[in-house]
Amino acid sequence: MDIIKSVFRPLTQIKGRTSITLVVVEALAALLAWEIFGQHGLIPTPSKIMVAVGRIVTSAYFTDNLFSSLSLTLSGMGISIVLALVVSYLSLIPVFAPVTRFIVKCRYLTLTGLIFLFTLLTQDGHQLKLSLLIFGIVPFFVTSLLSIIDSINTQEYDLCKTLRMNHWQTLLEVVIVGRLDQVFEVMRQNFAIAWMMITMVEGLSMSEGGLGTMLIKSNKYIDLSTVFAILVIIFGLGIFFDYLLKQMRYWLFPYTKIEKRS
Amino acid sequence: MNYTKNEVLLDVKDVSLSYDKPILRDINLTIRNIVRPGLDQGQVVSLIGRSGVGKTQLFKILAGLIQPDTGTIMIGVEQQAVEAGQVGIVPQNYLLFNHRSIHDNLRLAMKHVTLESKEKDALIQDYAVKFDLTEHLKKYPQQLSGGQRQRVSIIQQVLTGNRFILLDEPFSGLDALMIDKVMDLLGRVATLHEWNTLVIVSHDVENSLAISDTAFILAREKDKEGATITETLDLIEMGLAWTPGIRENRQFQQVVSQIKHKI
Repeated sequence: MDIIKSVFRPLTQIKGRTSITLVVVEALAALLAWEIFGQHGLIPTPSKIMVAVGRIVTSAYFTDNLFSSLSLTLSGMGISIVLALVVSYLSLIPVFAPVTRFIVKCRYLTLTGLIFLFTLLTQDGHQLKLSLLIFGIVPFFVTSLLSIIDSINTQEYDLCKTLRMNHWQTLLEVVIVGRLDQVFEVMRQNFAIAWMMITMVEGLSMSEGGLGTMLIKSNKYIDLSTVFAILVIIFGLGIFFDYLLKQMRYWLFPYTKIEKRS
Repeated sequence: MNYTKNEVLLDVKDVSLSYDKPILRDINLTIRNIVRPGLDQGQVVSLIGRSGVGKTQLFKILAGLIQPDTGTIMIGVEQQAVEAGQVGIVPQNYLLFNHRSIHDNLRLAMKHVTLESKEKDALIQDYAVKFDLTEHLKKYPQQLSGGQRQRVSIIQQVLTGNRFILLDEPFSGLDALMIDKVMDLLGRVATLHEWNTLVIVSHDVENSLAISDTAFILAREKDKEGATITETLDLIEMGLAWTPGIRENRQFQQVVSQIKHKI
């Protein structure tokens, strides 16, 4: 009874099994309501979507498409993070600061208007998709990384000075090594942007396939069960990778899991 | 008490600092090596002033982290102009590198010390035993209490080989029992080497005076902008230093009361 009261009480912290139970119960209730009241609607019901999911994942073309999307996302993410890190670290050297500021502002440049330019600059469809993905992610990456750098307590730099470190050693200790865990967290958060963008860029060059291509084709024929099934797969994979990156962060940087003592 | 004051260890002359208005003006203070026969005496000096008077700025100037508008700060028996890295600092929040274990934080402080790796580890172990940190060496800073972090932070600065260590508000937010422990710790650090000089920057008059050999009062004089040293207390000369339970002493309490009214 106390547990039921606590989930309705404001500012109550719900942890562990109660929290999981709450999520599962609410999700089941929503799916059940959708299943019951959505029988005669345009949007397919969860059971129909799940049937379509089963059909898609067991089909011969699914693995190729999934691999295509994953490899594009991972290579795009990899190149983007390297570029974003270089740009962010260079921002600490005054001569590079204006370039960094410009890249941050590029968040407001729409990709659609630049597709023609990128088509001219790239040699094939794969390069075009990869370039657009990188161009789309890097400004967001740089913005997040710069906010990490900006939030560094200046006392940390002072501490380095008292420990007789020079400027380069300070940069390495405080900004690079000291913030690697946060860089990883930014990577995790921005993976969602990359994963979301993948469907868009895959639509620009469909020859390599991919989940985005599957989605666009199904949309074209208004095959809503398949559309929703692909969305569920994309959503599920996104959640899975988010969890995987979170666990990797704990493994690589064990101190991030430690609860701070008062 | 049998002691002598010998060579100058810290000499601050005519230091002033202004931003949009004067913060510090005409700061002059001298710290001499206190020698007691048969002892590695070291010493504890306090810079006492109320909040917002400019203590932190003076703290940074003494540490060589910022340059004053005028004046000089000479340190050591060689009397060289202070540079960042020659004076250790222990900030109020006992800052350590959170991505490194306590052992690695301490090792980092010895990067420039010319000792073999094993000797460095042995020295860390030695300090850990002395300051009750042995079981915490493998932990990360977040796993330590405030008092433990403070000890690590102080030892980190000692391990750099710096003889001058500045401590920003070391008694802030501590209960009475912890304050006694910190005082004991500071006393022990001061006596690790003859030239060890701990400079406490604090608004806590009673506790700062209780641990100090010399105290400088930083305050603003009437109708004058910018803080300066308004009074110097030679607590050894006054018979108020090196005495356990000094806080119970009536004369000490009177001095504390007077200073509280002056800052």
